[in-house]
Parts: sequence; structure tokens; C-alpha cells
Amino acid sequence: MSGTATTSSEPAGAAVTARRRSSGWRRWRGYVYVLPALVFYLTFAVFPAFHTAYLSLFDWDGVSLGVWVGLSNYAEVFSDPMLYGAVLHALVLVIFFSWIPIIIGLLMTGLLSRHRRRGMTLFRLLLFLPQVVPLVAVGVTWRWMYQQDGVVNQAFRLIGLDGITRAWLGDFDLALYAVGIIGTWAMSGLCMMLFLTGVQKVDTDLYEAARLDGAGPVHEFVSVTLPQLRGEIAVAMTVTTVAALASFDIVYVTTNGGPGNQTTVPGLLVYRLAFTEGQVGLAAAVAVVLAALILAIVYVINRLARSAE
Amino acid sequence: MADQRAIRGVNRPLRRMGAGACALVVGAALAACAPGGSANDEDEDSQPEGPVSTEVPDEDITLTLAFTDGPEMVEELTAAFEEEYPQITIEEQYTQFSDYVQSLRLNMTSDSAPDIAQYAVVMKELVANGEIMDLGGYRDAYGWDEKFPTVSMDQLTSDESGKVYGTGNLYGVPAGLSLTGLYYNKELAEQAGITEPPTTLEELEQALAQAQDAGLTPISVGALDTGGIHLWAALINTVMPVENYRDWVNGVEGGTMTSDDAVAATTMFTDWAEAGYFNEGANGTGQEDTTTEFINGESVFLINGNWAAGQIAEEMGDNAGFFLMPGQDNSAEPIGSGFSVAYTMSSRTEHPEAAAAFLDFMASEQAAQVISDGGFLPVNTEAVPEQEGVLAEVDSGYQSAVENERINQFPDFAAPAMLDELTSGIQSLIAGQMEPAAFLESIQNVRDSYHEQ
Repeated sequence: MSGTATTSSEPAGAAVTARRRSSGWRRWRGYVYVLPALVFYLTFAVFPAFHTAYLSLFDWDGVSLGVWVGLSNYAEVFSDPMLYGAVLHALVLVIFFSWIPIIIGLLMTGLLSRHRRRGMTLFRLLLFLPQVVPLVAVGVTWRWMYQQDGVVNQAFRLIGLDGITRAWLGDFDLALYAVGIIGTWAMSGLCMMLFLTGVQKVDTDLYEAARLDGAGPVHEFVSVTLPQLRGEIAVAMTVTTVAALASFDIVYVTTNGGPGNQTTVPGLLVYRLAFTEGQVGLAAAVAVVLAALILAIVYVINRLARSAE
Repeated sequence: MADQRAIRGVNRPLRRMGAGACALVVGAALAACAPGGSANDEDEDSQPEGPVSTEVPDEDITLTLAFTDGPEMVEELTAAFEEEYPQITIEEQYTQFSDYVQSLRLNMTSDSAPDIAQYAVVMKELVANGEIMDLGGYRDAYGWDEKFPTVSMDQLTSDESGKVYGTGNLYGVPAGLSLTGLYYNKELAEQAGITEPPTTLEELEQALAQAQDAGLTPISVGALDTGGIHLWAALINTVMPVENYRDWVNGVEGGTMTSDDAVAATTMFTDWAEAGYFNEGANGTGQEDTTTEFINGESVFLINGNWAAGQIAEEMGDNAGFFLMPGQDNSAEPIGSGFSVAYTMSSRTEHPEAAAAFLDFMASEQAAQVISDGGFLPVNTEAVPEQEGVLAEVDSGYQSAVENERINQFPDFAAPAMLDELTSGIQSLIAGQMEPAAFLESIQNVRDSYHEQ
């Protein structure tokens, strides 16, 4: 009651300030909404990242007082031949985690998207399933399948290829590829899902026009679907490349870097340094170098995707 | 004590905030915000100096016990202990092995550190930081030298840097012991013409060749994880003088693994691999899977530890046997590789007497029964009823090794990075990708660089 009375009798100047204040509030109001998420993001993502970079400047075992060593951990990182091998392995994994799944995803999209069929949801669900299973469970299962008497070898024996059966994860030349195939299996569903979703937003007029011009399924795919999916392909490539370069769980569970050092990846080395060898500073330095490498590669991918537009 | 605890509690968050602040302004007062360093210096007085008491206070006490091996066994152990000491309650803190090892550093340096914790290799740094109680006083007061096997207690001693073992202060007591050796399938052995378990290394080599001639897989080695290491270590233990091996694994200055006898033992290992004595795909097969293979009659011998004995006895009954890696000649007592599930006391505990009583309880008859049922070899061997079959053979191998003090620490105890280096190196040996001498040099480097740090 008193409120209405005041408003009506308020001088014009006060109303202006109130409006100005409220417009300032409006501008900031958006930030209040994101504040909870922002706090979590800063606390659990941004701060730990900077803290890792900070730790990389120390010689620290994780228990006693750390000693400031400046950039000498980085000097050690770049002189370690183990790390070069690990980075090389991670780059090979990029082919299996990223390129092959994208190709498979595109093929599946080409097959599934042209016509509406019954049971599409079921197909999509089945193909997306590997994404839902935790990678550790995936690793344990594949380790079992790759055994001397595992399902993979049983299948080979069934079709008469007894000669090539082996304990795949223990083979010096093939273990890395065997690990890579697990990644292919896990990532293909994700790529296909992204592309199928992308295809749905493509204007059907484009397909109709292409068909009127006499384009076959292949031509239609190459000249309509593929260019329209550029954005999705860039996203898929970014996500899967990061997964390959930062891979840890699959390798840790299946081979733990073996046989010899044939399947070591940088993530595994970070883990070993920090948790078993008690060289937290050096581990942090490897992690920072790995993050920089990933950022650089992701930057290149996104530049390529943009310039192609 | 209580005051210091309070001070430390305040200090900690401040230090952490400081760390955050100087992450942004690098260069400002760096020494002040170095990570870690919740060093236990202030707590030096909690280390018992002079005589300690075996008297357990009458008041109600709650102890926490952090551990990773044998949750069911530990539950029964604590129950038996609480029956003996009704005023003490033990809260069990179980963590899975890999998580346990990872979290141990943080856990033991926190304000809520457990009073008792299962020993793990990472304890080295905690010992150096004064977080683990030196048990010397209790050793004398309780007469542990009489109660626990010397060889197992030696494995739990170290100097104050935590890097050199087998000497200095006692930081834990053994509860259940483990030991590796060779299992064999009696039916298959007979089929290959092997009538007696080999008593010398030469006889073993002969038996492996016989098994191969009979068209059988001579020995299962699970080199995807630790099986290869166990076999290699068994050969090293047999060929190398005990003192030399212990100097190496314990971190004694000058300890070396590049000697001629080490090369000879490693060459024997690679010769076996090359001759095709190992299961096909040894590098891609884990220890547990080799045990299954062995149980299914796919190999004549198996390298594994006492932890597999229960499963093997159950599945194979009288058809399975066990022996330690035989010595070079008949007169040489065999040597086993082994370690113990051991418990340590935090130097932060407020109830050292109660915790010591629990450690002492590990040598009791009640504990022996529980530990034996849990699949480990109890320290108090007299308290356990005679086993049968392969279990009895494991027991007798263990007893002879204990009596003759011929149990050697697992080789990965030489340095924190050793396990990974050994696993990958031995896989390379099996695949013929590495020469024995190069392998030994690589593991020697890991050890040396650890001690240089």
C-alpha cells in the first residue's frame, strides 16, 4: 500500500536513476545465472590447470617440501627418449581413435540417412552403445578377447586363419594397433551419432535438387552431405584427437605400456611419474607439455575447418 | 600434542591459499609457497624415546586401520583383537590396491591419518618424512624378535632416508607372508617322464626339455603383468649370492645387478624363452590367466605365488605340487622371493600403545588361524593345523625358507620406478628384443638414479 503511494508521488529524477540501476543490473544479471557453474569451472578446471603448471616448476615427491627448480623439469622432459616414443604412439593412436572412426561414421551416415527406415532408433542405439560403457570396462573386455584363447583368436581359427593367431597385446609389432582398434570401436559410435544428428538439419531441398540433377547416392553424399557436415566433422575430429593424445585408461588396463615400451602414451607416463615414482613436478611438466601439444593440434584442426568454409 | 595439531590445522589452508596466490604472481616469495611440506618436524616428540609400555590403557579407544589386502581376513582379525581388548574399537578403512597406493601419501600426511596402515612401497617417502613410527621400543618391549621371523622383519627395517633397507629402524610388523615358487601338474609331469620334482636347477632345465619333447607346454609365465618378473627373480635368487642380491634390492651403496652371475641367470631366462619353454603368448597373458591355463592342464609347470595355492588346490586336488626354485646343486638351500602383508603405525597416532598391541596381536595363535584361512602364510607357523596336498607343500617350502632365512624381497622394491622397468624389460627379453646385459644395465640405471635423487 505504502509502496504504490511512493511510486506515484516519486519525482522524475529518481525514476531515471532506478531505471539506470535496473539496466545495469540487467546487464550483470546474466552473470549471476552462470555464477554457480563458473565457480565450479574455475575451482575444478581452471585453477587445477594453473596449479599443475605451477607444480611443474618444483622438484616435489608429493609428501615433503617441494624445491623450486625453475624450468629444469622441462629440460628433463625434452631430453627423455621415453617421451618421444610415447608421443609417437599417441600420434599413431590418432589414426585409430580419430580418422578411422570418422570414416566409419561418415559411411554409416551415408547408409542410414538417405531414407527413413523403421528401427532407426534401434540402429543408432546399438551403434552408440560403446560410448556409454566406461573405458575401463571396455579395456578389461578387450584384454580378455585378445588373449591366446580369446574370442578374437577363436574367430580367426573358425575361418581357418590359425597361422595368424597370437596373444595380440603381447606382440611387439602389433600391440599398438590392437590397442588402437579398441579405440576405433569405442569412438565410431560417437562420430556416427554426431553426423546423423548433423544430417537431420540439412535442408531436404538440397537433396531433392541433387536428385533432380541426376545425382546418385555417392554423388549426393559427396556434394551435399559431406560439405554440410563440415562443422560436425571438425567437432568429431577435435574430440577424438584429444581422446587419442590424452589416452590413458584403455592403455593402462590392457597393456600398461607393454610389451616392452611399445604402447606407452604420455598420459601413462604422467601417471607413473606422479603416483608410482613420486616425481610430481616432472609429471606436471609432462602434463603441461602434453596439454600444449593437444591445444596446438586442436587449433590447427579448427583453423583448417574454418578456412575450408 | 593437541596444541600442535591445532596449529597445523590452521597452517594448512593458509599455505594452500598462498600456493594459489603465488601461482598467479610467480616470483613472489617462492620458497614460502612451495608445495607440500606439511612436514612432521613438530611431531618429533611423538616418537617414543626410551622405554615404551606394553600396557594398554583402560579407557575406550578407537583406532583406524587403513589397508588393501584381504578385507575379509582383516575383518576377522579385528574382531578377534577386539575380543581380546574389549576397550578398543577398530575402524577399518578398506581401499582397492591401486587407489590405496595412490592415496597413501595424502592419507598418512593428513590430520585424519589412520593409526595403523598396511605397508606399501610408497612408504619410503613417508618414512623419510617422519610419518611412520619407529617401532624399535615396542620391538624390545614385546620381544618381537622371538615372535616374528627375522627375515621378514628385516624387510621392514630401513634407515631414516627410507631408501636403504634391511638395516636401521623397524617400521612395521609382518602379518601374513607371501612367497613365489613353481607349481607342477603331476599327471602331465609323469606323462613327460618327470617322476620327481627337480632338486637342482639342471634337473629343472632337463624337466622343461622333457616336457617339450612330450609335446607339452613346459611352463606358464604370465608376463603381461608380473609372472615374468617372478620367474626371472627366482633364477637370479638361485644363481646370485644372497648378500649381493640383498645389497642391490635394499639399496645398499655399491649394490649391483650387472655382475656376471646376474647375466648368467638372465641368459638362462632368455634361453628358456628362445627354446619355446614358455606358453605361447606369454607376453600377452596375465598371471591369473596362466593359473587358469595351468589348472586346465595346458602346461606342466607354473610360476606363481602362494596366493594361487587355494585356487589350485581346490581345482586340482592331489594332482598339483609345489616347490621352490631349486638351487644350483643339491646342497644349496632353495631361496624364495617373498614379502609380507605388514602393518605400520602412523607417528600421528594418539594411541601408540593400543596400536602396538594390535601389531603384537599378529603373532598370536588366533591371528595365525585367520591369516592362514585368508590365504597367507601366518608368522606363527606352529598355531596352524597341518595342511594337505599342495597347500602342505607350499607351507613346507615356506617354513624351510623362513628357518634358513632364505626369503628375498621382490626385485621391484629396489626403486619406485622398478616395477614398470622390470615388466617392460622382461617382455623385451621374452620377445628377443633386448640382450640380457642391456636389460640389467637398464634396471641398474633405474636403481642408481633413484638413489642419486
